[in-house]
Amino acid sequence: MSVPVSLSLETVRCELAAATAYAAAAGLELDASELSENTLQFHVVFWNMQRERFTAEFDCRDYSMYPPTIEFVDATRTLRGTPALYPAGFHGMPCVCARYNRKAYTERGGPHGDWRLVDWQLPTGNGVAIDSLAMILSDLHSKISQSAGRLG
Amino acid sequence: MTTTAHGADASQDEAGDERHGPPHVQLQVQTPRGLWSMTEPEEAPRRPDYPISTKIQVVIDDARTVFKFVENDSKYTLFLGGEMLAPERTLASYHIAPDALLVLSVQGGNA
Repeated sequence: MSVPVSLSLETVRCELAAATAYAAAAGLELDASELSENTLQFHVVFWNMQRERFTAEFDCRDYSMYPPTIEFVDATRTLRGTPALYPAGFHGMPCVCARYNRKAYTERGGPHGDWRLVDWQLPTGNGVAIDSLAMILSDLHSKISQSAGRLG
Repeated sequence: MTTTAHGADASQDEAGDERHGPPHVQLQVQTPRGLWSMTEPEEAPRRPDYPISTKIQVVIDDARTVFKFVENDSKYTLFLGGEMLAPERTLASYHIAPDALLVLSVQGGNA
């Protein structure tokens, strides 16, 4: 099952209002200039506690039925998914191991066969549900800003 | 700076309530669920208006209340720019200016 591209685009644009406000206040660089029906992607730059720069790509195909696929890329956005592009603290696959990342699910080669994609907005444990783009940015911002070094 | 007491409602503000004690500072707190300020959200039960001797933890707790972040199995952190604020320290210790924009980051539970 998939979501019409136009619907995903509308949902992402709607949620980006809150995500952009959060990113601006947190000093994150959010670039949605390429967002379109052909490219359902945006990028966010995070910094760790040593002020190292990390660029995350959010592929929002089928959003919000399914979570975005989040991948760390290099500054030119050509190299992707290597441990050196990830902040320390994430899964060694490498992967942002969270319900809100489609890459974490077994269908994408991730470690979690125990999660269902349609349940991605459920909380993990007794924590807050990470159920929107702004919440995803907040979760990543919190983790990355308190990490040091790179995964590989 | 302001003379409004922490937790005071709008009617007290409008009445021009005057208090004594340490100086106060009015803040803005951006959260992933929206901005908390002296005017937003409209139905907020309290406003970010604090004596400068207030601990960071109090601001975190109040922002959680306003945006109904009730889950305790999450990590809540307040930032000023790129600096993480220690919950046990006071607003004054960070020389936080009036109308400073703070950020409440929220981590979900661990997988």
